[in-house]
Amino acid sequence: MRVIRLLARPLFLLALAAGVLAGPLAQAQPKPAPVKIGVLKLTSSAPVFVGAEKGFFREEGIEPELVYFQAAAPIAIALAAGQLDVGATGLTAALYNIVLGGEKLWIVADKGREWPGYPLVAIVVQKDLWESGLRSIRDLKGRRIGVTQLGSTFHYHIGNILEKDGLSLADVKIVPLQAMAATMEALKGKQVDAILVPQPFPGAAEAQGFGRIVAWAGDLYPWQIATIFYSGKFAGDRARAVAFMRGYVKASRYYFDAALIQKDGRTVPGVHYDEVVDITARYTGARPEIIKLGFPYQDRNGRLLVPDIQRQMAWWAANGFMKKPLPLAGIVDTSFVEEAVRALDR
Amino acid sequence: MAVERLVVVDRAAFLRRPEHRTVRVLALAGLVLLWEAVTRTGWVSSLFLPAPSAVLAEGYDMARSGQLFVHLGTSLARLAWGFGIGAAAGIGVGVAVGFFSLADAVVQPIIAATFPIPKIALLPLLILWLGIGEASKVAVVALGVFFPMAINTYAGVRQADPLLIRAAVSFGAGRWSVIRKVVLPSALPMVFAGLKLGAGIALLLLVAAEQIAADAGIGFLILQSGNLMETTRLMVGIVVLSLLGVCSHWALGGLERAVIRWRHS
Repeated sequence: MRVIRLLARPLFLLALAAGVLAGPLAQAQPKPAPVKIGVLKLTSSAPVFVGAEKGFFREEGIEPELVYFQAAAPIAIALAAGQLDVGATGLTAALYNIVLGGEKLWIVADKGREWPGYPLVAIVVQKDLWESGLRSIRDLKGRRIGVTQLGSTFHYHIGNILEKDGLSLADVKIVPLQAMAATMEALKGKQVDAILVPQPFPGAAEAQGFGRIVAWAGDLYPWQIATIFYSGKFAGDRARAVAFMRGYVKASRYYFDAALIQKDGRTVPGVHYDEVVDITARYTGARPEIIKLGFPYQDRNGRLLVPDIQRQMAWWAANGFMKKPLPLAGIVDTSFVEEAVRALDR
Repeated sequence: MAVERLVVVDRAAFLRRPEHRTVRVLALAGLVLLWEAVTRTGWVSSLFLPAPSAVLAEGYDMARSGQLFVHLGTSLARLAWGFGIGAAAGIGVGVAVGFFSLADAVVQPIIAATFPIPKIALLPLLILWLGIGEASKVAVVALGVFFPMAINTYAGVRQADPLLIRAAVSFGAGRWSVIRKVVLPSALPMVFAGLKLGAGIALLLLVAAEQIAADAGIGFLILQSGNLMETTRLMVGIVVLSLLGVCSHWALGGLERAVIRWRHS
């Protein structure tokens, strides 16, 4: 009896400890870490927003975690630094230079093309300048053009648009402003004459009355502007990487069928159009009327326009933004999207 | 007769500070070698920390193509103008405030109110007023240099030894002689301290200004290389900045030794 009494307290404490520890230990597996996706709050990120909201990634066992940025190049940098698994944004000189500098990352799927008839990036000028006659690309000669960063997609785009019209980057003054919100402020404050911004900003500039759209840049020069890219580490985890891609292709098809259907040369609302508009409006913080101005084009299955990537690197290198182009095999990997499409079509 | 030798121990010998010239050089060289080793072995990616050898090679390429000198020349021109205007204005105001009590009453409150404003914060305002050209950059540098110069010059003028002044007066010196031969020379050490401070501030503000609205200059080079993730060129920019700082400090030290001949014996 006495022995039991002496042992009672330590035994009780032991039982209590066992009970407390048993709980967490009973949970068999640790939950898989979420996949961190770097995005911008733009209409062009709609497929990613749709995938997250509709649970397409979750169906494939991937928990998405969206991390928001103010410009595209910092996403590539964060990916290289190991802070993100997936980037879903524009292709910048910084991204190519990261790979040139020895860090591995892979361009794997389409997330937006500048395409005629599908609004993505617009050249927006000050309303006063528009009213006094600045209506074409040639009129931009000698003007200050605001972009987010040097080597951004906007830099590439305006450079090629100018070249098509017989001008060059040397004929304008490119002003780097570091964030998209800052370019809008600079146009409002008349510190620059024109800016290149993606939807929903051009619509917002016109709605707020300080800017007028001179042209949709995709009508002037089409290219593979935005992609999904994987960090070297994430691409190495083949199962998860393909699972993510399956979720993305599902989202891409949902988006395409809702927003990119054309009839008689004009875009008409497709299946679940209002739902996609609503999701995009909520995630970007823009009003639905502005989102409805248009959605950017991408391949229904998320397939890349691979030769254009080669063309981009050649242009960057020719203009001194890259030391030399990379071989495509060192930066593009279409196997993920092909495997995902095969799995979904089975 | 035996000579008695008294052994005197300097018990303050532990406070002596030998220069350790070789250790200074070796420490810096050792750091550079460690840096090179860390990037060579791949322990740190060369994208995140370019090797010193790569930075030197890139610097050489940039020097050969002339790019480096374009950026360096633009920055130096802005520095020279800004520093010159700021120092001249600062010394002028400092001397005036030191001598004339009316100037003191007018200027001191204004300096007290405006000095604590970080000049980098004023940059967007200056760009609004003076445009995105050279004027706003020179102005921000000049403003940054003006305040330490004015404050230091004023302190230097006020702390002229009254004994020296009275000695000069008792030897028959007139008002202007006293100012020229006693007050101003004894203010010089503080003026030079202000110049060294101002040089550091000028460099800091210039780089900040060149990152906002420029298309040439060391600050622009750093911004551009950062945007493009060309980290080797970025390091070249940083090394050049460091060298500019070291050179200006060394040059001002030499100038001080030449001008203030009675201080360094």
